[in-house]
Amino acid sequence: MNNSVVRNMDWLTVLLYALLVFAGWINIYSSSITDGLETSVFDFSQYYGKQLTFIGLSTVFIVLILAIDAKFYQRFSGIIYFISLASLAGVFIFGKNIAGQTAWYNFGFMSIQPAEFAKTATALALAGYLSDSQTNIKYFRDQLRAFLIIAGPMVFILLQPDPGSAMVFASFILVLYREGLPSGYLLCGLGMLTLFITTLIFGAIWVSVAVFLLLTLYFIWRKRKKKVVSLLPFLTLMVITVLVTSSVRFTFDHIFKQHHRDRISLWLKLEHDPEKLREIRRSIGYNTYQSESAISSGGFYGKGFLEGTRTKGGFVPEQHTDYIFSTVGEEWGFAGSTAVILLFTFLLLRILFLAERQKSKFSRIYGYGVAAILFSHFTINIGMVIGLLPTVGIPLPFFSYGGSGLWAFTLLLFVFIKLDANQINEWEDLNDATVS
Amino acid sequence: MPVTEKKILNRLYFLAGCMFLFALGVAVKLVYIQVDGEEYRQMAEERTIRNFTIPANRGNLYSDDGSLLATSVTKYDIRFDALTVSAQNFEKYLKPLSDELSAMLGKPSSYYQKTFRKARANKNRYLLVTKDLGYAEYIRIKNFPLFELGPYKGGIIVEQHVEREHPLGKIAERSIGYERLDGSGHELRVGLEGAYGEYLEGQEGRRLKQRIAKGQWKPISDNNEVEPRDGYDVISTIDINIQDIAHHALLAQLEKYKAEHGTAVVMETRTGEVKAISNLGRTSDGKYYEKLNYAIGESHEPGSTFKLMALAVALEDKVVDTSDIVDTEKGVITYYRRRVRDTKHGGYGKISVGRAFEVSSNVGVVKTIHEHYSEHPDRFVDRLYEMGLDKPLGLSIKGEGKPYIPDPRNKKQWSGIALEWMAFGYGVSMTPLQTLTFYNAIANNGEMVKPRLIKEVKEWNKTIMKFDKEVINPRVCSPETVSKLQGMLKNVVLKGTGKRLYSPNFSMAGKTGTAQKNYGTKNRERLQYISTFAGYFPADDPEYSCIVVIHEPDRSVGYYGADVSGPVFKSIAQKIYTSSPVEDVVKELEQTRPETEEDYQSYYAKAQKHSDVMPDVKGMSAMDAIPLLENLGLKVKAVGNGKVRKQSLTVGNKIKRNETVVLELS
Repeated sequence: MNNSVVRNMDWLTVLLYALLVFAGWINIYSSSITDGLETSVFDFSQYYGKQLTFIGLSTVFIVLILAIDAKFYQRFSGIIYFISLASLAGVFIFGKNIAGQTAWYNFGFMSIQPAEFAKTATALALAGYLSDSQTNIKYFRDQLRAFLIIAGPMVFILLQPDPGSAMVFASFILVLYREGLPSGYLLCGLGMLTLFITTLIFGAIWVSVAVFLLLTLYFIWRKRKKKVVSLLPFLTLMVITVLVTSSVRFTFDHIFKQHHRDRISLWLKLEHDPEKLREIRRSIGYNTYQSESAISSGGFYGKGFLEGTRTKGGFVPEQHTDYIFSTVGEEWGFAGSTAVILLFTFLLLRILFLAERQKSKFSRIYGYGVAAILFSHFTINIGMVIGLLPTVGIPLPFFSYGGSGLWAFTLLLFVFIKLDANQINEWEDLNDATVS
Repeated sequence: MPVTEKKILNRLYFLAGCMFLFALGVAVKLVYIQVDGEEYRQMAEERTIRNFTIPANRGNLYSDDGSLLATSVTKYDIRFDALTVSAQNFEKYLKPLSDELSAMLGKPSSYYQKTFRKARANKNRYLLVTKDLGYAEYIRIKNFPLFELGPYKGGIIVEQHVEREHPLGKIAERSIGYERLDGSGHELRVGLEGAYGEYLEGQEGRRLKQRIAKGQWKPISDNNEVEPRDGYDVISTIDINIQDIAHHALLAQLEKYKAEHGTAVVMETRTGEVKAISNLGRTSDGKYYEKLNYAIGESHEPGSTFKLMALAVALEDKVVDTSDIVDTEKGVITYYRRRVRDTKHGGYGKISVGRAFEVSSNVGVVKTIHEHYSEHPDRFVDRLYEMGLDKPLGLSIKGEGKPYIPDPRNKKQWSGIALEWMAFGYGVSMTPLQTLTFYNAIANNGEMVKPRLIKEVKEWNKTIMKFDKEVINPRVCSPETVSKLQGMLKNVVLKGTGKRLYSPNFSMAGKTGTAQKNYGTKNRERLQYISTFAGYFPADDPEYSCIVVIHEPDRSVGYYGADVSGPVFKSIAQKIYTSSPVEDVVKELEQTRPETEEDYQSYYAKAQKHSDVMPDVKGMSAMDAIPLLENLGLKVKAVGNGKVRKQSLTVGNKIKRNETVVLELS
């Protein structure tokens, strides 16, 4: 690795990364150490010991990532993407079934989850495609291709089935949006989601009536402003609304699986029968309620490191992986949780800032990809742990226990750090640098 | 429409706005659950409280002379709630408490002071102080400074658990039995522990506990506590010595004949008390264990032992006398094209009915019964019913097999040859204990008593239930019939099928039985036998009756009742006689020897006090000393006979596993 990389690297991002990984390990230690057992932190039979190994190995990966020529990532983005797709397909042949998901390659000493690495590959491929001077996201054909790039890994991951991870890929829409995808797509998606949720809560008729009133008000307002008012879009929107709302019940009752229904019922508080509600809380809502109780018991300042009784008591299932944030909540309190959220926010803002300053379109788009992935993980995970969103099992980046996850996020971030460090040094080489 | 800088900026704002909205949502929710989370905190509390059952102490199981067969020892764990103690008391008593603990448990006082301080700082409400204390130690620790203030002010938490111990070790282990869950959750109930589980068990209590850490629960508030009711003590009728004799005699014979399974029951003639009951079945590895209670549960065709019942009917009806002559012809007789054969090829010729019984002539007995009852089979069967042979004994142990005697008035049960076959014990079915009960009635001069395994159920020294002698039928037949039957049974051993068992030193009476188990089979090679010997001893004025049933002996070794089961019967009788003269046995069985009581008391004191130091066994009987030492992990060599005079290891020294100790007995 040449010195220029070390010099030009964004050390603030690296510092934020290191802080998050360290804080993550501290909490894994706390949630997996057995009380009264005199063990060293290097006890590799324990989660904290293993995670320490994973962290050690990620530094090796970081060196490797930084040592590879930055142009490699752009030139080979297509190939990397197809290798990644192949690895996702191969999991159905060579993979191991853990807890009903065929998502892992088993290497004896550890398991690798290719879906984690597919995020980086997709971000690279998307950046490669969009930064091509031939591509114009304004054209429907190119939009379709971009969507296909995103949809490829999603399909495989949905088949595993791991809908949580697949959902993360949807966040690439934000990258397309930044790069000029017409707002219609985003509005349409958000509109559908809103219709779906409100219909579940209020019922098809009330939602249709409300949309009708809103649209009428809007058209009256337009007319007041003496703008052209035509009946066609009004009617089209109404018809779509009625169709969507009336199909929501069917979709919910017949296409969704029972555990999806239960999670959504719990989240939207759809179940009013106290008996059934208790049952759902006891089964499907168990994790969330344990997690909420643990976080709540932390109070403002928390109980202190290794003092969380609910963490020690093993109340929260999967606490060292997806529910690691509940340890933060219990042992470090509101102050600690806020600090972690602030750290993540800083990291996201820093990445957005770095992305915007990229001279290379490829680097910029990739940077947005990184931000989108981290943001969606962060949102979905913390939202789940504190009961703000329905249960979706994905890890908290840099925090959760697990080699695949940690390495994939490290790869995702440090490829961007490398790209960023490179452009300062060699920006004049980049012939396709188009500043928009 | 080109993408302008302004548009890009708007889009950025939009994205940032979304992120901000979400961050706001997270913050609001966090404030809601962390800063103002009373509802959640209460929920957290609820999830950690659970109702626990407190197991009741199991009662003790005693043998008939008051020896302990099985007992439960309560052990105490002491924990400390470091938070409940007031700061003032904590500071005031910490040092004296630690000093006392140090003196008792060995670790330095500073260690306890440090540990308790740390526990208090960490808000530990369940600090383990020490485990597995005996009662005396528990009382001592309870009165230490601070702890004496009780659970709320003093922070002491006492938890008890129970261990089942068998003072006799390996001796009669299987007969004492156990009651526990096996790997797949089925309850295993074996031996007396299993049979009298309902008395021994007691009633569980309940207590609320709060989870404070993984797998650790702390008891809270005793308002809802339900105290457990301890199990009753059960005093069984089992005599350890006879049990031991029966067990080993049966085992030796099963091994010799490679039999499938077998049972031996010894019953006190006058009272019906079962002195020994041994049931051994072969496992896949060829060893014998108590698997099932064959004596009580297995109803099978008795074969020749049933001739006693058949002749009892005929004699009682006075249609025949023992001196009447019956022609056994050539040893074969045909009824409805089915043949009845005698063991002796060519038959016995013309012999008396008594002789036919002695040599177990099938033809002789069958012909006698056929002659007098074929016109009115109901008369024969009704007599058997009158004797109570068709009814179960109604034992306290579950799973008694049902006897079966067909009724001629019921066409489904009856057939043309039912009477004839019944006469020599086929087409009827009885359990060994039911057969024994009838033989015992003959020994007991006609009074049929119910077999009993349990003498008394006690709560401490209070008798809860007493099981006295129960008479099923005060007179199964007239005294004349009884004396005729007794005479025939005596002759079986003197000059009949059992004459190889005869011993000039002691007398016994009984009947052999060799029943074919699967006579329907075409393949003669596969024929299996049930070899039985049922009887009583001494022949005059009997004390004990006994039955030995051995299923499926290896035919190449032998299968006749006299060869297979007879010797077990004989060695049981012989050992009971030779080890203790009759008068002594009777006296000792009536009362608990104070000596024995004392022995066991001292055994206990020792077993409890020392777990790894050499106890003083001088003066103990070898039977007590050997299991005690073996349970401590020592190898014991005993020289001589009687009580321990000298022991090779010094009292109080630490014991190493597998060390050999030599005991000199005198």
